[in-house]
Amino acid sequence: MTAVATPPRRRWLRSPTLRVLLSDRACATGLFLLAVICFAAIFAPWLAPFGPDEATPMFRLMPPGTEGHLLGLDHQGRDILSRLIWGARLTLAAGIIPVAVGAAISIPIGMIAAWYDSLGAAILRVMDVLFAFPMALLAIMVAAFLGPGVENMMISLVIVLLPYNVRVVYQATVEQKSMPYVEALRAAGTSTPAILFAELLPNVASAAIVYSTTIVGSIVITAAGLSFLGLGVQPPGAEWGIMVAEGRTVVFVAPHVSAIPGLFLTLLVVACSLVGDGIRDALDPRVRASMGS
Amino acid sequence: MPANGPRGGGGARSPGAPPPDATDKPPAGALSKGPVRSGLRGSDPDMLMLIAKRLLGAIPVLLGVSFVVFVALQLVPGDVARFILGYSATEENVQALREELGLNRPILIQYGIWLGNVLSGDFGRSIALGVPVTTVILDKIGASLLLMAASLFLVLAFGLGLAAIAGGHHRSKRDRVVVLFTLFCASMPPFWLGIVLLYVFGLQLRMFPISGMYDMANPGGWPDVLHHLVLPAITTAVSSLAIVTRVTRGRMIDVMTQPYILAARARGLSERRVVYLEAVRNVLPTYVGISGLQIGYIFGNAVFSEIVFNWPGIGLQLYQAIIQRDFPVVQGSVLAIAAVFVIGNLISDVLAKALDPRRSA
Repeated sequence: MTAVATPPRRRWLRSPTLRVLLSDRACATGLFLLAVICFAAIFAPWLAPFGPDEATPMFRLMPPGTEGHLLGLDHQGRDILSRLIWGARLTLAAGIIPVAVGAAISIPIGMIAAWYDSLGAAILRVMDVLFAFPMALLAIMVAAFLGPGVENMMISLVIVLLPYNVRVVYQATVEQKSMPYVEALRAAGTSTPAILFAELLPNVASAAIVYSTTIVGSIVITAAGLSFLGLGVQPPGAEWGIMVAEGRTVVFVAPHVSAIPGLFLTLLVVACSLVGDGIRDALDPRVRASMGS
Repeated sequence: MPANGPRGGGGARSPGAPPPDATDKPPAGALSKGPVRSGLRGSDPDMLMLIAKRLLGAIPVLLGVSFVVFVALQLVPGDVARFILGYSATEENVQALREELGLNRPILIQYGIWLGNVLSGDFGRSIALGVPVTTVILDKIGASLLLMAASLFLVLAFGLGLAAIAGGHHRSKRDRVVVLFTLFCASMPPFWLGIVLLYVFGLQLRMFPISGMYDMANPGGWPDVLHHLVLPAITTAVSSLAIVTRVTRGRMIDVMTQPYILAARARGLSERRVVYLEAVRNVLPTYVGISGLQIGYIFGNAVFSEIVFNWPGIGLQLYQAIIQRDFPVVQGSVLAIAAVFVIGNLISDVLAKALDPRRSA
């Protein structure tokens, strides 16, 4: 288990939010796992013993523990550990970039929808329609029509996320809109854009960001699923979803080829949801009050 | 024993509490929110109004869904007809396909024509198979609905029980086990879980078949189908089961702090009865609501388990259509699935309302 108590001396750890986060054991575990995976992704060229496409066909499908290949080799004789480390880059990017872009796009849409009632009704109708699709299915359809590839996969994930993000921003804005300070700003003659983007934005953005952290995990799974279907990362690219897909063809003789990347994918999603839940709880004043003492 | 709140306080709250063996309604006004006593009361006029309202509300949504599915074809880069036929196709063939798909007309006209056809059951013709898309879908949707129903059954059968065990005994050991279990279940990619189950229970233990819906050599009717159904259904159900359990558990924890639970304890009901009867009844609306939302996840997951287990449903068909760029089949499959999803949500929504004890209050 990772550290539970926080040393009070370090100044950067004094932020109450961070302290709650780290004192939440589950969240600290998630943060640790995520940090390890991010570290691997960033320093892949130094950490990985082999290149992602470097193959020794002689040793293909050798099991974990083969000398020099801790996690074994795949059907082309590529080192699985190295591909995992390199693959962490695309796997993480495919989860984080669409969520960040989706949040950024949905903030103006959701705020405008909440501010202007008639326009809002129309925007919400459109979102209702997007809600009517099962998430994975909409992603599959859009990615299938756009054509395979990493960018198209990310575009389809942004579209899938849109209704969820817009709803969160919309609700946050509606909540803020009725606050006295907004009334005061209006009475003082502040222009609408100034109220929306200078005064409301910080409050609304934090709601969007908190929501985004809780949804990264499911986007990671959806992205890996698209790659599994052949719609995302293309071979010979290293990404955990496509590694599972490639391993599926040799599951009869070498189950480790798909088992290992899938296990890491599961751990990544576990880490994401632990951290996401932790952040949500840490910012919830009720939880904070009960934990702070 | 988890902190259950002051029992004596509960007794003080409802002075007119009936003797321990009585389970009928507590005196009116004794509690802010009464416990559930009603079952389904579908004959209420306001219930019928609700159903009618939801049905009417579903129409614009379904129209919008059909428009999105139609417009998605415009996302195909370049000329769709050229894209479908490939670059070796002759110009005449491309023009003929453009004509057949109606690509030469304005988009709203195209949509109008397409929608008219769809409403009369004509989804176009499969490019790869050469048969009407309707035939393809009708041929496959049965297997998918069977898989989906089996998965939903697993979710419904285990979700409530797990949630009650965990949420009814908040912070106990069982609660922690269930929380950890659901955390991993919700985090496993369905395609990977399918492969793992296939390897362990199919290839190693040889308990279940690993491919298709029937035994090819010796098809044996329903028992055979059910035997083939086990692994794909588990694969499809697991993440939804986890979500349903998590959400229902959360509600269960809330319910356990409500005054009527305190009152039930004060009436001297056994703890088991309080948790598994009184509390569970009050989480039913949440449980049904969240289970209804799972229909979408189940469809999404089913695509993957159908691929892994070669289950001859609409998800496998969709996958093949994507590979073959058979866009009419992709459109038709997505539209069919989305329609089932909308209707499923509608049913669960109405059901959740019908089960809500506070509905008439």
